[in-house]
Amino acid sequence: MRDFLIRHQTPALLVAGLVVVTVLGVLTGNETVQVTLTEMFIRLVVVVGLWVFIGNSGIISFGHIGFMGVGAYAAAWASAEPGFKQIMLSGLPVFLQENQYPFAFAIIGATLLPALVALLLGIALMRLAGTAASIATFAVLMIVNSVYANWDSVTAGSSSIIGIPTVVGPWVAVGFAAGAVVTAYLFQVSRLGLMLRASRDDEVAARASAVEVKRMRLVAFVLSAAIAGAGGGLYAQFLGILTIDPFYLGLTFITLAMLVVGGMSSLSGAVAGVFAVTIIVELLRIAERGVSLGALDLGLPLGSQEIGLGVLMALILIFRPNGLSNGRELVWPGAAPAAKAPAGRTLSPELTGDAAPSP
Amino acid sequence: MIGFLQNLIDAVSLGSIYALTALGIGLLFGILRLINFAHGDYITIGAYALIVPSADVTARLLIGDLPLIVMTPLICLIVVVAALLSDVLVFRPLRRASSPTLMIASFAVSYIIQNGVMMLYGARPKAVDLWSGANTQILIGDLRVPMLQLIILVVTLVLMTTLTLFLRKTPYGIQMRAAAEDFRMATYLGVRGNLVIGLAFAISGILAAAVSLLYTTQSGSLSHTMGLPLALFAFVAVVVGGMGSLVGAVVGGFTIGIIVTMLQAYLPPELRAFRDAFAFAFVILVLLVRPAGLVPSRTSFERV
Amino acid sequence: MGALLTIDDVHVRYGDLVALRDVSLTVAQGEVVCVIGPNGAGKSTLLAAVAGGVTPWRGSIRFGDTEVVGLRPEVVARQGLSLVPEGRHIFGTLTVDENLRIGGFIHKGRADAKADYERLLELFPRLRERLNFPAGRLSGGEQQMLAVARAVMTRPRLLLVDEPSLGLAPRIVDQIYEILLDLRQREGLTLVINEQSSNRILKHADRIYVLRGGRIQLEGRAADLADGEAIRSAYFGFGSPATLEGVTP
Repeated sequence: MRDFLIRHQTPALLVAGLVVVTVLGVLTGNETVQVTLTEMFIRLVVVVGLWVFIGNSGIISFGHIGFMGVGAYAAAWASAEPGFKQIMLSGLPVFLQENQYPFAFAIIGATLLPALVALLLGIALMRLAGTAASIATFAVLMIVNSVYANWDSVTAGSSSIIGIPTVVGPWVAVGFAAGAVVTAYLFQVSRLGLMLRASRDDEVAARASAVEVKRMRLVAFVLSAAIAGAGGGLYAQFLGILTIDPFYLGLTFITLAMLVVGGMSSLSGAVAGVFAVTIIVELLRIAERGVSLGALDLGLPLGSQEIGLGVLMALILIFRPNGLSNGRELVWPGAAPAAKAPAGRTLSPELTGDAAPSP
Repeated sequence: MIGFLQNLIDAVSLGSIYALTALGIGLLFGILRLINFAHGDYITIGAYALIVPSADVTARLLIGDLPLIVMTPLICLIVVVAALLSDVLVFRPLRRASSPTLMIASFAVSYIIQNGVMMLYGARPKAVDLWSGANTQILIGDLRVPMLQLIILVVTLVLMTTLTLFLRKTPYGIQMRAAAEDFRMATYLGVRGNLVIGLAFAISGILAAAVSLLYTTQSGSLSHTMGLPLALFAFVAVVVGGMGSLVGAVVGGFTIGIIVTMLQAYLPPELRAFRDAFAFAFVILVLLVRPAGLVPSRTSFERV
Repeated sequence: MGALLTIDDVHVRYGDLVALRDVSLTVAQGEVVCVIGPNGAGKSTLLAAVAGGVTPWRGSIRFGDTEVVGLRPEVVARQGLSLVPEGRHIFGTLTVDENLRIGGFIHKGRADAKADYERLLELFPRLRERLNFPAGRLSGGEQQMLAVARAVMTRPRLLLVDEPSLGLAPRIVDQIYEILLDLRQREGLTLVINEQSSNRILKHADRIYVLRGGRIQLEGRAADLADGEAIRSAYFGFGSPATLEGVTP
């Protein structure tokens, strides 16, 4: 048991950390704190999903917030009140219109549908070289946005879907966050994950067949879309009301910023980034609201939050390209695992920018 | 037939805008391996530079009121300065960074510019009447051709020809092409890396400024996210054309312009709202058939 | 003769990988120095470090009186040092003419560059015939000639040539060496040439360094190493590094 824990200490420590934060948050009894925590854990699910693809394949994806949106709508279709669905979403299949499915069913749908979409799109996208594939993932985001914003009979178009039970609080969210961390970890240390990470290295990539690399990328793409989709499902059942607008560039930017700030070459980095960016954004938000000193209202102008986050991201890229985690995984001080640390330690030159200058 | 020709003119004019944008993005990608997200925001900066900075809903023209011959170079100058600043502040410290890192950095620059513009000018879109004289139509046979579309086409052709001549005939142009093909080797021969990169930023700034003026005249409105769709379509144009090829960027730009216009014209009305989705899906289809793009670059920049 | 190039205790690392360790080397004005070593010995890294393409982790590289460690490649090139890299790195989409002119842009005085250009075309008649061809369509030998000519267009005092014979027929290699040595005579060039094999080099070089595993294994005058025995043992690493006069620690 002890050996098992030491070997897998990174996910164990991360999950333990998440639980501790949740306990502390719930103990405050403060509504705002709990809402912020819940939202953060949902984002953590999405960012960990994003990491499963980006961290392992080295290809930046701008499309995962699209998958999150697909997941959110799938959950809404399953769980919204039949009364609303029959009037507003008349294009849905009858079984969805007439029934209200429980949370578990909604989340399964929120996981499977994005995975299916990712599989179909991924077959095309993974054929492209790295940078071209990144740009093409934009196409995914645009397609999802365009379809969901206009397909009125299924998505209610520019008005919103309402009547989704709000069952997601801090405990449910942290449960899924932990699940996402463990899933991502298992993928990372799996044979496929190791091979995919190795394929970012030039020599190994040269030896592996291109077909094989593409297949491994596709698996990571589908799995990461499923996780991001689950995050979307949670989001829908957290808000209770849904439009497509939030699932666009703003959230894409924030989730990528989380990954960059934490360090996208390690799972611990992804988790750390979510925490760090959430804290910074909350602080900037408070600063924007301002403080009153006597007759003086001191506050940052609106938009400072976004600009601050953008500047932070640029600074991290320039001065600490491996992010806060510096590419390392979280380990208990002094309890180094007996076996060699998982591939999280080996930094890809692609991502870190430490590429050896070619002579 | 007349209808089709009319659509074709629309397509070519929209394609020109995308091609100019894609050219600016493609030029930087060629030399720096940077997919510059902020390119769309350079366009936004050029457009907002026309008006008085204020959060008012109605826009008052400032530089936009000056005669064309003063206004154009001034807008170019402002956008070029913005482009060079983004290089000096963000991209230069990242010279040795990988392509994905650069792309993310430019995403950050884009986000900063967008929110900066919003902070200065407010979030609501503004109407501007830049050059109403250009909105007349001329009749060629039965064909009504908006004057502005002709201007767009002419400006595009002039800019492309000038750029081609610059790249082919001048010492700096030759150095830029050499750097685009093999940056390290060019520096071994004494080509100044930062100068060439600065030039590329400046030229992409001029191209962006041209798009600012043309696009603002055509659309008659400003918004802090106006550059975004242009940049996104242009990215896709760069990929469809073939990454690393300037000819490809232009071909890709016109292809996307034609696809979008024709979908708008010939999709059944109930599907027209999904135009962008169809356009992007079509792009994915094209890439499925030709993963290296329509005009594959002779120097292959990337492996797998 | 003063030293034109002095490499002192240079280490180069790529991440955890050490490519060069404790490398010291000097090249005197007017010399032809050859560095030989097996594939992966660090020869290319050594030349790239001199040319500013790779920054050593430690050590100093002086070219004339200038410390070049930390200088950008274009700055080093402007000091009068030119590298013909392994694999030639011709700009394939540019014409032969454009490839050559790139080398000349370093100089402000255009007239000089024009004169150099004409003089080099005298030396390389094959290139003159193909001036307006895209360089990518030249044969391997022609590309190697173009790479050398292009480097000479920068008017270097020191020319570094990385494996000029790689992938070329022996007859072509002879031609290229002939031209290199001819250039040395005419232009007063100092040459550092990397090769994998010592066969041809022994008769052209003044001095030889053997590099293996990132370390200098042997250094000596070509005349003293003519029998090839010491080189072979240093190259393949049989026995201890041979000690000859002036072996670097």
